[in-house]
Amino acid sequence: MTAASAGPAPIVPVRAPRVPFAAAGRLLRLELRRNAMPWMVPLVAVLFWLITYRLSMAHPPLWNVRAMTMQTTASTVFVPIVVGTAAWLGSRERRSAITDLLAVTARPPWARKLATWVATTCWAVAAYLGCVAVLYVVTARQGAWGAPLWWPVAVGAASLPAFSALGFAAGALRPGRFTAPLVAVAAFLALELTAQFIHGDHSYWQVSPLVAGPWELAGDQGVATFYRYLPDLPIVQLMFAAGLTAALLGVLGLPASAGGRWLRRSAATITAAGLVAAGAAIWLAGTGRLDTHGMIAIPVLHNAADDRPIPYTPVCSATPIPVCLHPAYGSYLPAAAAALEPVLAELAGLPGAPVRISQAAATYRQEPGNDVYIGRDGPAMTETPPVYHLLLPVQYAGSTTTGAFAAEVRRQGGDIVNLVIGGGRSATGAQQAVAGALLKPSALPPGTPVAAAAQRFAALPPAARHTWLMEHVVALRAGRITLAELP
Amino acid sequence: MTTGAARELPAGPVPAGGVRTGLRLARLHLVSRRVPAALAAMAACAVALRIALHWQWDAYGALQLPLVFETGCAAAIAVATASPFGEPERATVRWLPLLRLGTALALTAVAVGVLTAAGIGAHLAGGQVDALRNIAGLTGIGLLCAAVLGGALAWTAPTAYLVIAVYALYTQWHGPALTTPWLWPARPPHDTGAALCAGLVFVLGMAAIAVRGARDTAGE
Repeated sequence: MTAASAGPAPIVPVRAPRVPFAAAGRLLRLELRRNAMPWMVPLVAVLFWLITYRLSMAHPPLWNVRAMTMQTTASTVFVPIVVGTAAWLGSRERRSAITDLLAVTARPPWARKLATWVATTCWAVAAYLGCVAVLYVVTARQGAWGAPLWWPVAVGAASLPAFSALGFAAGALRPGRFTAPLVAVAAFLALELTAQFIHGDHSYWQVSPLVAGPWELAGDQGVATFYRYLPDLPIVQLMFAAGLTAALLGVLGLPASAGGRWLRRSAATITAAGLVAAGAAIWLAGTGRLDTHGMIAIPVLHNAADDRPIPYTPVCSATPIPVCLHPAYGSYLPAAAAALEPVLAELAGLPGAPVRISQAAATYRQEPGNDVYIGRDGPAMTETPPVYHLLLPVQYAGSTTTGAFAAEVRRQGGDIVNLVIGGGRSATGAQQAVAGALLKPSALPPGTPVAAAAQRFAALPPAARHTWLMEHVVALRAGRITLAELP
Repeated sequence: MTTGAARELPAGPVPAGGVRTGLRLARLHLVSRRVPAALAAMAACAVALRIALHWQWDAYGALQLPLVFETGCAAAIAVATASPFGEPERATVRWLPLLRLGTALALTAVAVGVLTAAGIGAHLAGGQVDALRNIAGLTGIGLLCAAVLGGALAWTAPTAYLVIAVYALYTQWHGPALTTPWLWPARPPHDTGAALCAGLVFVLGMAAIAVRGARDTAGE
């Protein structure tokens, strides 16, 4: 340094930045560029493909099933990686031994840390949305009926800032090389534990982002198709995520080194508000109940307008009696129609026979523990005009094989026959024989008079059988036909 | 150092193969790798597992639980490979491969020991054989990751594997089941293929960490 340059430097007034947030934006840009999360994006993308995408694609293209499956599994995929990376970045200053160096910068430490957290969260959310976009685009291209469900996406996206804040706070408050792995594993464990503790529809643990509806109905095809996807639980989960995020970020601003008094008071206020919001969300989750449409309704948040059924135009088969399904289940129509067609051909046009087989919505009732009763919403047969309401096997929760699907639909075909000819538990011999003849293969014990009459009736030409039924079905249903009177 | 202390030093050169020197070298190596902290982390995992085993778990949860803590231990072992010295240490310490190998092996043995001990008197799903296989395989993954990404980020691979393994366990109840032996936590404890895969990954990880050590990353 020369003597000339050692003289007093001219005082240059520091200009205030023209744009108030320009410095913050520049800091954020730097953090986005220097962040570790982009390096984790390929890893989470692979995990998403392996777990979420493949599992979703194994289900039929139904928005409800795929979106709810996505919410549960994507949380599992993203949480440990995001938490670990955020913890690693949270301990960056101490790890790189630049704490003292940064202490003299103009920005308060809290603001500096928030910039790192925001950048980490932005990358995580961007990766999440990218993965979800691929899944949703593929689902839309497969012809899924209706509109995409956005609430599960929102819950997943909102949980990422919370988990990022959790990891970041752990890394910042307890910097060390073991913080990131331990916090990542602990967060994963905590997330999985929530699923273990859910018992019934009043569980507080439903606040977990893993939960996309009644826990034991996860992936059920019957929910959120005939009726709307209720936003009650997602709203509570968003509230919890926002509260947790605020509380954790506020904690970062509490230490004396985080900034000035005003800043620390603000941090304390944010922490308190966050804790209140998270606590309220947990309480609200505990007030949930399984509604008859299979979703968790929360009375305080519930909007009665969401209970209205979604209008739709059914897709129908060209069978003698049309089988009409909800368009979301259109892919099941050929199998359902094929299973019912032999029975429908016999019954078409008979007095009292249904003019249409229409798919019914399922109704749900919470049983002790995590058991859920699933049944038909309304009676099996309605009059004027007679319509039989069919419940597809896939609406009973869980997937089913092709053979089991056909067997269950055929069983309901037997119910239709019994309703038309008056069968059932107290059926007369003639009614049993006619039902046995129409439902092939017959379950009647061989060698009995009823079985012999059934064989005789089944051996008639279809036209003759149909003509006889046209003339006698009313009397048969009333129990006035004896076994001997059968042709 | 005081003058008095200086007087106590041996006058001649310290014998390179001396037991005391070797022990001091090993102690310094362990301290530089934060092995005490790694042991504390593993002890914490064991205590947490012990507490968790007091609850009643369904079959899926019972298998999942030890796996999470085994991953925690494996991640701690992998992270403990990070060296704060980098190239100078590589250039000067002759016994470094042996020290690295010994440290990793000892930590793995401790991890198996503490988690097995945590399961004594409780129902540890899969038993000791399962714990041994899973910890060995997960440690191998962590050590390989340390050799590629560096010690600081070595936890990512065991954690990612944990997510996949938990999913593989899930598929045992909600098919189609993933049955590849490379997902050994989802295989029965006495499955030979799974044990071979875990063992192979463990040996590869040990070899990589002994020969190459954890990758030095800038700024770490």
